[in-house]
Amino acid sequence: MDATHQQQGGATVKRGLKRRLILSMLLVGALPLTIGLLMAFLQGTKEIREVSGTNFEALATETARKVDLILNEELATNSQITTDVNIIHALETRRDQLAEYSDEALQALMAQETQAWTEKDPAFVQSLTENELVTILRRYDGGTYVDPGHPIPIVTRSATRGLFLTDVAGRLVATLTTTIPYAHNRTPWWKGAMNKGVGQPFIENVAFNEQLDVYTFTLSLPIMDSIRYQVVGVLHRIFDAKEFFAPSIETIRFGKTGHVMLIDGNGKVLSCPVLPTGTSLSDPNIIPLVTPMQNGWTAAPSDGHGGTRSSIIGFAPLPTTSRITQASTGMGWHMFVWQSSEELFAPIDHLFTWVSVFGLLSIALLATLGAIAAGRIVTPIRHLQEAAKLIGRGQWQEPIKIQTNDELEELADEMNRMNRQLASTFAGLESEVASKAQEVQYLQESTSQILDSVPDPVIMLDHHQHIQYMNRASKEALHVNNNGHAVEGEPLFHVLKTDTSTIKRLGEEFQSICAGSGNENMPVDSASPTFQRELRDPLQQQSDWSSTSDGREFHVDNQAYRYEWFTVRARPGQDPRIGLVFRDVTEESLLQDRLLKEEKLASLGVLSAGIGHELNNPLVGVIGLGEAIQQEDNPTQIKEYAGNIIQHGRRMASIIKDFTGLATAELKERLTRVNINEQLDHALHTVKQTHETSSFIIRTNYQSLPSLNVNPQEFSQALTNILTNSVQAMTRGDTLDITTTLTDNVMHITIEDSGTGIPRTQLSKIFDPFFTTKPQGTGAGLGLTIARRIIQKYGGQIQITSQEGEGTTCLITFPSDENNSSEVKEDAS
Amino acid sequence: MTSLRTRMMWMSILCCGLITTNGIAISSDTKKETVVRGIAPEKVADFVHSIIEADRTVYTSHVVNRMHDKGIVSANEHWEQQNALPLPAQFLQRAGRLVAKKGSGVRYRLISLWPIYRRNGPATDFERQGLEAVTKNPGTPYRGIVKSGKKQYFQSIYADKAVAKACVDCHNSHPLSPKRDFTLNSVLGGIVITIPIEP
Repeated sequence: MDATHQQQGGATVKRGLKRRLILSMLLVGALPLTIGLLMAFLQGTKEIREVSGTNFEALATETARKVDLILNEELATNSQITTDVNIIHALETRRDQLAEYSDEALQALMAQETQAWTEKDPAFVQSLTENELVTILRRYDGGTYVDPGHPIPIVTRSATRGLFLTDVAGRLVATLTTTIPYAHNRTPWWKGAMNKGVGQPFIENVAFNEQLDVYTFTLSLPIMDSIRYQVVGVLHRIFDAKEFFAPSIETIRFGKTGHVMLIDGNGKVLSCPVLPTGTSLSDPNIIPLVTPMQNGWTAAPSDGHGGTRSSIIGFAPLPTTSRITQASTGMGWHMFVWQSSEELFAPIDHLFTWVSVFGLLSIALLATLGAIAAGRIVTPIRHLQEAAKLIGRGQWQEPIKIQTNDELEELADEMNRMNRQLASTFAGLESEVASKAQEVQYLQESTSQILDSVPDPVIMLDHHQHIQYMNRASKEALHVNNNGHAVEGEPLFHVLKTDTSTIKRLGEEFQSICAGSGNENMPVDSASPTFQRELRDPLQQQSDWSSTSDGREFHVDNQAYRYEWFTVRARPGQDPRIGLVFRDVTEESLLQDRLLKEEKLASLGVLSAGIGHELNNPLVGVIGLGEAIQQEDNPTQIKEYAGNIIQHGRRMASIIKDFTGLATAELKERLTRVNINEQLDHALHTVKQTHETSSFIIRTNYQSLPSLNVNPQEFSQALTNILTNSVQAMTRGDTLDITTTLTDNVMHITIEDSGTGIPRTQLSKIFDPFFTTKPQGTGAGLGLTIARRIIQKYGGQIQITSQEGEGTTCLITFPSDENNSSEVKEDAS
Repeated sequence: MTSLRTRMMWMSILCCGLITTNGIAISSDTKKETVVRGIAPEKVADFVHSIIEADRTVYTSHVVNRMHDKGIVSANEHWEQQNALPLPAQFLQRAGRLVAKKGSGVRYRLISLWPIYRRNGPATDFERQGLEAVTKNPGTPYRGIVKSGKKQYFQSIYADKAVAKACVDCHNSHPLSPKRDFTLNSVLGGIVITIPIEP
């Protein structure tokens, strides 16, 4: 499962690396390529627009100038007519004639003549179409009067739809055609050319002439009088707009749709090969864009021919003509060069297509090359990866063969070298490990053999009381069946079957050793006093009375075992092991008990001898006094002897009491909890009753102490004995200080006197039975012996320090732990 | 620029208005004088001429030259298309046309024997003779009565000198100029003032 996952992971990584390589190659190649192509496209587009725009502008300017020249020439030609002296003279004459008419008369005349003209009165029509001025006009129109080298263009003549003269009143004076009205004094062209007598050329906008049924524009030139003072008449010429402009505009075509057109300032078409004359541009929004008074080109949002695609339009005003038309009608004439957007942008579209195709091809090529290159890079890496995996698993394999002549080959060589080195290192390590393992095995076996040969049972435990090892002796002792299942790993108390309280105690000890094993080592010490139980002289004081090894015993199947815990230093990172070593002490115990009994008997013998000796003296006295009484008649003397006998008897009773106190102390074992301070007071009271203490200074200083579980009579006796000793050592004026304190869960009882003290040589003997410094018959020498026994029985200790001549201090200590105090020591029993 | 041009316009109109008012005053005076005491048309022409010349001088020195020197705007023949100032000669011609449009009767034009445009050439023999006379003798105007049909007019032709370097340069360099050896203060043409005479 795990291996499969790893393989899948590896495959993902492989594919990921390849994909990333291809991607990065694509990015590295395609991004600059795309940006470059895009920029080339944008730049190309911009340049095409600019080139087209500039070209269109140039064409518009050129055409505008050409048409302007034609119009200027037309103006010049016609102004020749206006300077004809005959015409001027005729018109001056007419002016002078009209000056004699009043306004009303003039209007009446005009109405009359207009009617005649409208009704085509032959005589009247003839007077206007066949007079002298008409002849002059014909000559001009026919070109008779034209200067050599200045022929009137055929276009002008063919496009002319009317040529006529009007006088100062706007009346028709002479005309070549009859398709015109008679009175012109209200027409804009007449008014404009007249210009209040000052006169100015007037070019009228293109408009539909209903009489002629064509779109026309008119050219009106004022005719000044002979001194050029004022206008005396106006020359009018009507042109067919299309026919006039077509030869110079509509012939200009480029591409399929490119052409030039002439529009006025309102966007009305004067001449266009596509749009009919008189129509307006389809999009009024572009009119302000293309009709400024300067040349230029613009990218208009539409083409003015119905197309909605943005287009490039070149434009130019007609310089001179526009000045005249602006003065005449307030708007200029403008040349407009245009090509359909589709055609104009065809190269751009083509460029875009080409750029896109090339870009896609390049990206495809890059992807293919990238895939090949990535494959070439990734395949050796995959080999290396697999090899590394095998080496990592410790599976020696064939040397990696990669021949790419680059870093990868070097890496493969390095890996081969590393592999060889690893292999050799591993080989060395393996042999070393094998030898070490053998050594360990040998050590284990030898240890096991050594331990098996030890007669004492040894059990090794882990921290959870599970058995790790048992030697032969322990298996035999605990009756563990060797051919059964292994005991290793079983809990200790499955094997060590003893009573519940012992198990509990052992468990607690184990826990305390576990807790303390971190900083304490308890080596097995065969010389421990545990195994040195020897018969003791009961009168010899035990030097190591405070030994802690007392009581380390348990019983299994009526066999008594003395045991010892020990810890074995742990390996780093592991818990220390704990060992239990024990020894069968059943026989020793029995022997001990026997010895004890013998000791007691021997002790009794010594005791009896002492008692005998003690009792002998008063007894001798009693006998002597008895004999004396027998022989004495004097009652006074007899009373005295009897008193002496009583005294001796009391002495003897006292000796016997002391003896019974020693011998029957443990008879009544009734424990109750007592207050030590109260017991001290009680003992002091007893001492005060039996001894003269009035001359001493007795001071008590008690601290509150926990209660102690003891036999109160016994305990009181111990205290009484000690106090008695103190009091007996004191002389008049001495002090006795009794102090109790509790420090660190230990109760201290200090009894300090300023008596005679004990000599250094006797200090070591004071607890010995029958040791006494008092005169024979005064003390049995058992007081302190009994006191120490009682105190030790309840877990306490007694220490006596003394300085001869200065006083004696007795320090009694009890642990405040109630369990300890309640337990009866075996020695005491 | 527009405001400047507008101001120019206003100034021109103002000048012309002044001239016209003067003209009307003069003509009405003339009528009265004809009846009562009379005022010689020569005098009227001199009045008009002094006003025309003064206006043009003010325009030339305080508008054209000043604007040109400060680099704000120059005078150019195609001033309408090129957002420029009219040349002093154009200023005079245009003012003359405004005066004519007013219909007061007095009219004046700038003419020359070597006009850049033919329309500014002498219209009559009288004018030609007048130009020739004032070219020879610029200090003395050429005067006389001319006729157009039945109408009679008093004409007075004053020599018009090249008062600024710009005048000389333009007339010497213009492609349509027929004469190109003018110097400062040489006579370029003349101002012809025409006053109608009532029969």
